[in-house]
Amino acid sequence: MGAPSELLQGTLDLLILKSLALEPLHGMGIARRIAQITNATFEVKAGSLFPALHRMEEAGWLASRWGESETNRRARFYKLTAVGRKQLRQESARWARISLAMASALQA
Amino acid sequence: MLRYCKALWRNLFRREQVERELDEEIRGYMEMMGTRGGIEQVKESVRDVRAGASLETLAQDLRYGLRTLKRNRGFAAVAIGTLALGIGATTTMFTIVDGVLLKPLPYPDPERLVMLWERQIPTGEIGTVAPANFYDWRAQSRSFAHMAAVDPYPDFILTGAGEPRRLAGAAVSYDFFRLFGTRMALGRDFVEAEDHPGRGQVVILSYAAFVRYFGARAEVVGHAATLNGSSFTVVGVLPRDFSLAARASDFQGRGRFEVFTPLALASPPEAWQRGTHPLCVFARLKVGVTLAGAQSDLDRIAGVLQRLFPADDQEAGIAAVPLGRRVVENVRTALVTLLAGVGMVFLIACANIANLLLTRAAARQREMNLRVALGASQGRLARQLFTESMVLAAAGGALGVAMAIMGVPALVRRLPADLPRAAEIAVDWRVLAFTTVVALATGVLFGLVPLAPSLRTGVRSVAARQSRLRSALVVGQVAIALVLLTGAGVMAKSLSRLLAVAPGFRTDDILTARLSLPPRFTNGYKFGVGKHREISRFERDLVERVRDIPGVESAAFAAYLPLGGTDNSWAFQIEGRPPKPAGVYDSANYRPVSGGYFETLGIPVVRGRGFNDRDTEDSPLVVAMNESMARMFWGQADPIRQRLRFGGEEWRSVVGVVGDVHHAALGAKPEPEMYLPYAQAPNVEARPTIVVRTAVQPAGVVNALRRAVAETAPDVPMDQIATMQQIVYGSVGESRFQTALLAAFAAMALAVASIGLYGVMSYMVSMRMREFGIRMAVGASRGAVLELVLRQAGKLAALGIAIGLAAAAMLARLIASLLYGVKPFDVATVAIVSAVLAIVALMASYLPARRAALADPMDSLRYE
Repeated sequence: MGAPSELLQGTLDLLILKSLALEPLHGMGIARRIAQITNATFEVKAGSLFPALHRMEEAGWLASRWGESETNRRARFYKLTAVGRKQLRQESARWARISLAMASALQA
Repeated sequence: MLRYCKALWRNLFRREQVERELDEEIRGYMEMMGTRGGIEQVKESVRDVRAGASLETLAQDLRYGLRTLKRNRGFAAVAIGTLALGIGATTTMFTIVDGVLLKPLPYPDPERLVMLWERQIPTGEIGTVAPANFYDWRAQSRSFAHMAAVDPYPDFILTGAGEPRRLAGAAVSYDFFRLFGTRMALGRDFVEAEDHPGRGQVVILSYAAFVRYFGARAEVVGHAATLNGSSFTVVGVLPRDFSLAARASDFQGRGRFEVFTPLALASPPEAWQRGTHPLCVFARLKVGVTLAGAQSDLDRIAGVLQRLFPADDQEAGIAAVPLGRRVVENVRTALVTLLAGVGMVFLIACANIANLLLTRAAARQREMNLRVALGASQGRLARQLFTESMVLAAAGGALGVAMAIMGVPALVRRLPADLPRAAEIAVDWRVLAFTTVVALATGVLFGLVPLAPSLRTGVRSVAARQSRLRSALVVGQVAIALVLLTGAGVMAKSLSRLLAVAPGFRTDDILTARLSLPPRFTNGYKFGVGKHREISRFERDLVERVRDIPGVESAAFAAYLPLGGTDNSWAFQIEGRPPKPAGVYDSANYRPVSGGYFETLGIPVVRGRGFNDRDTEDSPLVVAMNESMARMFWGQADPIRQRLRFGGEEWRSVVGVVGDVHHAALGAKPEPEMYLPYAQAPNVEARPTIVVRTAVQPAGVVNALRRAVAETAPDVPMDQIATMQQIVYGSVGESRFQTALLAAFAAMALAVASIGLYGVMSYMVSMRMREFGIRMAVGASRGAVLELVLRQAGKLAALGIAIGLAAAAMLARLIASLLYGVKPFDVATVAIVSAVLAIVALMASYLPARRAALADPMDSLRYE
């Protein structure tokens, strides 16, 4: 396993949605969760993460509130909205199709 | 969508909260991650994706742009000032061109309005129309919804309230105002029944006359006014904004009529009304009829009239000319030239600003690098520069409009008096739209300029391309300045040639004034015949009194004054010559004058004698002529004692030949003229001019002259008081106006271009300071450095002058029609303006060159 890869275009949104599927998280929590669920394949930088979070919130996929982090500091927690869950389902299905197609293409 | 609007609302109007939360969120993240750097970049990237980001960026850019400009007051002042000057001058000139040339005429469906003229088939010349011809055209044509005529001669003397006043009058057919689609502001229009002889004791007032002479009292309408000693009912008042779109020269120098009365042609018209031609005819094409269709209709009518009335109409055609074209065709070239001139000044000003921006872009390279390092994208920076140039353009545009709003009225006051449609010149939405487009275009252009050198990649460095662009701009400026200087130079030369023309009469110490004779001197005002005895008795009484005024040397009457804007020509027949075919006449300009006229105006009597007090209505009929007429009709032979006559009149003997005068214009060739004693003229104008030669300042005898007129005939108004010098000066008004404006533009061009050259050379010197230092350190003299810089400036100027000469040579013929006595590409003028431009260019580059030469080599080497 080499250095963490740059994220593919469009995958970041999907990973953020996925990372929030279980529970609300703050920014750093999302970054850690993404690293965890991708076995540290992807490293999300703040310069990509926060614009994406704000964009997705304005699009109505995410909602945010201020809360206490595990280290007792104020942090902004993001959670999926109903629209966001629907988006996650659609994007997951689309991604499954694409990756299947890519895998079979590369094995042919 | 709703969500987006909410987000936009929050981002725009809850900015502080949004920003505070953003800061807290990112800062918290960074602390949790244990890093510090890059908070600002992350925040910037979030801001870039937020709803309304572009609006916010714009606001930010605007604020930043304004702040930068405030910090660089000098730069901002020069750039905005230059731009404002350019836009202001261009807007002002455009306002005039728009009002006169571009706006549709101020009537409904103006494209269907035409003027109809009698056309001399052999020469193609067009002229005013005989009443009987107008009558037949109107009766027989099928192409026009309306056809109406104006007789521009009848003046009205208003009495009953203080001093008698002359009102400029016109007689019009009853549907004249309907033809223009004009509705009365008060009262009613004429009706058909009033347009017959003896029926029409009614008048319509212009709004100005209504205010000036009738106190703007609405009850005037429907009541009687005493005009020409009889009672007329005022039936209507024209709207304030009505103006008759016409060339003043079509109306004997008169465009602003104050009172209108029905034309009242007899039906059928009297026979003599086919041989006199006082009318201007207007018509409105029927819907669906083309100009060509109307013309063939008119050609058919002309054919019929040629057969029916060969004596008068043998050679007469009819020409239909679109009114919009007719009105402005003699000022179009001049106005377009002036607009082009001001456009050139604007281009030169733009080049200067472009140069300024280039210099500033170079100076700001560090700032830009810093911002890139702080996370600003290239696009973001370009947008920033763009916003700044837009701020400049908007400020320049706004100031320019303010200049135009102040400048237009000032310029309108100085317009030549006979410019058509001057009343329609106004800074309106059309002008504002024009200025907005110009300002936006310059904003975009200037936004691009600093980017241009960095767009292309190649071997040359950005700096090298920048300096090439700069040099190109300066060369362009010098070239344009040369074109303008050449234009202004030849115009000035033309004007001086014009003013140097010997008019053929004396202009010093001459006072003139126009008298208006009431009906007791004339047989009414309808193409009539004057009552000679009354007129000449009045004339003799008045001249006697005027000669007694201290300071007056002599005095005389003339029906038509040279350069006075009025004229008349008559057909005549020479005794003993074979008769001409039907419809062909010898004719010459017709000049009734009183005894002593030639002496008073200093017109030399070349052969025979002038007129004197013994040439009365009872003495044998005599005539005199100018040399042009003698040459044209008698060649080398002596016309004295030959005889000629008008129509069926008695023969009259030629008693003298006098010198030519320039009657129509200083720049026009003298035409054949025949002079008749006032007392013997078969027809005289009801508005003679009295000409007085004084031994003192002419203005000093005005009051005495007024008293003399009042004592001789208290019912005769006197107006249009002017010295002959004023008349001569006024007659070249158009040429003076064009020359003054073009000269002003050329001076602006010269100043702005030399500032441009100065700026570029200064910049070049500051860039090459090190090099100069090294040169001097290794032994170059100061003189050599000076020469180096001047030579580079000289190269740019020479290239600019060469290109400018080529352009001037190509453009020259376009202004040929505006010039008198000088070729449009006059070699002497071109040589002088090239030399002037070269000298100014060297002066502008001398200061930077001197700075380079005087600098201490050691300082120069350290210079960075």
